Amino acid sequence: MTCVELQEGLAEIDSGGSAEQLAHLKSCPECSALVQELVLIASTAAELRSADEPSPRVWNSIEIALREEGLIRPQVPHRSLVPASNSSRVWTRWLVPAVALLAIAIGLRVYQNLQTRQVAIVAQPPVYEAQVGLNDADLLQEVSTQAPAMQAQYAENLRRVNEYIQDAKGFADANPNDDEARRSLLEAYQQKAMLFELAMDRSLP
Amino acid sequence: MYGADRHQSGNCMSGRTITLLAVGAMMAGTLSAESHKEFRFNVGPRAGISVNNPYGSISVKPSTGSTVLINAVLHSDKVEVDNTQSGNRIEIQSHLLQSADADSGRVDYEILVPADTSVTLHSSTGTLHAEKLHGDMTLEGAGASVDVRDISNAHVHVKTLNGPVTLTNVQDGHVEVDSLSGAVMLDRVTGPLVQVVSTSGGISYIGDFGSGGEYRLTSHSGDIEATVPEYTSADVSARSVKGEVHDDIPLQPNSHPWFPIEQGRAFMGSMGRAAVSSTVVLRSFSGRIHLRKRAAK
Repeated sequence: MTCVELQEGLAEIDSGGSAEQLAHLKSCPECSALVQELVLIASTAAELRSADEPSPRVWNSIEIALREEGLIRPQVPHRSLVPASNSSRVWTRWLVPAVALLAIAIGLRVYQNLQTRQVAIVAQPPVYEAQVGLNDADLLQEVSTQAPAMQAQYAENLRRVNEYIQDAKGFADANPNDDEARRSLLEAYQQKAMLFELAMDRSLP
Repeated sequence: MYGADRHQSGNCMSGRTITLLAVGAMMAGTLSAESHKEFRFNVGPRAGISVNNPYGSISVKPSTGSTVLINAVLHSDKVEVDNTQSGNRIEIQSHLLQSADADSGRVDYEILVPADTSVTLHSSTGTLHAEKLHGDMTLEGAGASVDVRDISNAHVHVKTLNGPVTLTNVQDGHVEVDSLSGAVMLDRVTGPLVQVVSTSGGISYIGDFGSGGEYRLTSHSGDIEATVPEYTSADVSARSVKGEVHDDIPLQPNSHPWFPIEQGRAFMGSMGRAAVSSTVVLRSFSGRIHLRKRAAK
C-alpha cells in the first residue's frame, strides 16, 4: 500500500482500518504522524464542542473544508483528477484542512479562554507553527513555488491579517466580557486560515 | 540554395509586409491552438458539479431539463479538460500540462446546469459567475472576481484573496463571504444569515436587511457602508474601534447597550417595526462605518 492509497482511505482508519493500512502505518512514519495529528484534531474538536457549542458557521466551515478535501464524501470508487506525481504537493493538500481546523481550533480556544477571563493569550505562538510545522515563511515559500506572480499579494495580505489578529487580540483583552470582541478574534483567525487554504488550494496552478 | 533564396527574397520585402506576415503567422498560431470542447451529462435532481480551473473564467447558468452542458474554450494545447461523473456528481478539472502559464493554461467555461444543482467553482484568476440558481454554491479563488446574481433559497459561500465580490438579488440565502482584501458589494441580499468578513476590503450593502435575519458585516481596516430604504426594520449596532461611524437615520436608542457607546465611534438602536426586525451588526477596527438612507426615487 502506498501513502496515497492510505490517504484516500483515511475514513476507514477511523473505524479501525484494514490490516494492510495498519501495516503501512507501522512502517511509514509520515503517514503515522498524519493520522496522529488528525486524531488529535478530532479529539480537540470534540472537547471544544462539549465545552462550548460554537456558532453554526464554524461547523459549516469545517464541513466545507472536509467536503472539499473529500474526507466526508460518500465512499465511491474515486480516481484523482490530478496525477499524484508530486508527493510533497499531496502532503501539502492534506495539510490544508489541518491548518484550517487548527486555526479555527486556536480561535475557539482563545474564545473559551476569554469567556473564563483567562486572557493571557498575547504571547501564544500560532498553533500551525507548533503542531503542523507550517508558518508564515512556509506559506510564502509555497506560493513562490506554485504561483510566484502572486507572492507579493500573499505577503501583503499576510501582513494585514497578522495586524488584524493583533488588533483583535488587544481588543478582546481590553474587553473580556464582550462577545463581539471574542467573535472578532475568531474571525481574524479564520481569515488567516483562509489565507493558508487559498495559498495551498488545488486551484493554484 | 533554397534557404539562401528565401533569405534573399525576404530582403526584398518591405518592412511593412514582413510585419504583416509576422502578425498573421502569430494570429494563425493562436487561432489554431485555441480549441472548443463540449461535454454533456444527464443528472438527477439536486446534482452536484465541481469545476477547478486554475486560469480562466467560469460561468454557470440554468439549463432546461436534467442536462449539464459544459462548453470549454481552451486557449492552447498546454491544457486539457478532465471530466468525470460519479452518480449525480460531476467533476471538471483544467489539467495544466508542462510549461503552461496563465495565458496558455487558460480555459473559459460556460456551463448550463439544472437550477437545483449544487455548484463548486475554483479559479485563481478569471471571473466566477453564477446566476438564476437555487442550489448551494461555493465559489473560491485567490484573485478571482466573483459575480453572483438572482439566487434564491441557497447557501452561498464565497472566498477570495483580493478578487472583488458582487452579490445581487440573493433572496432567502445563507450567505457567507470571506475576503482578505477584495471589495464586497451586496445589493438586495437577504436571508436568515448574511455574513461578510474582510481584512482590508471595503463592504457595501444596499437593501432592506429582509426580516428576521442576522446580518454581520465586519472588516478590519476596510470601510463599511449600508444604504437602506426608509421602511427597513432592523436592530442595528455599529462600532469602529479606531475609525468613525456615521448614522444618517434616526434610530430608537437601545436602553441597554452591551458595549459603551462612544460618540463618533459607535451607535446602537432600532428602526422600523420590532416584530420583523433583523439584527444588523457592523464592525470595523480602523475602517469607517456609514449607515445611510437610500435616496427616494
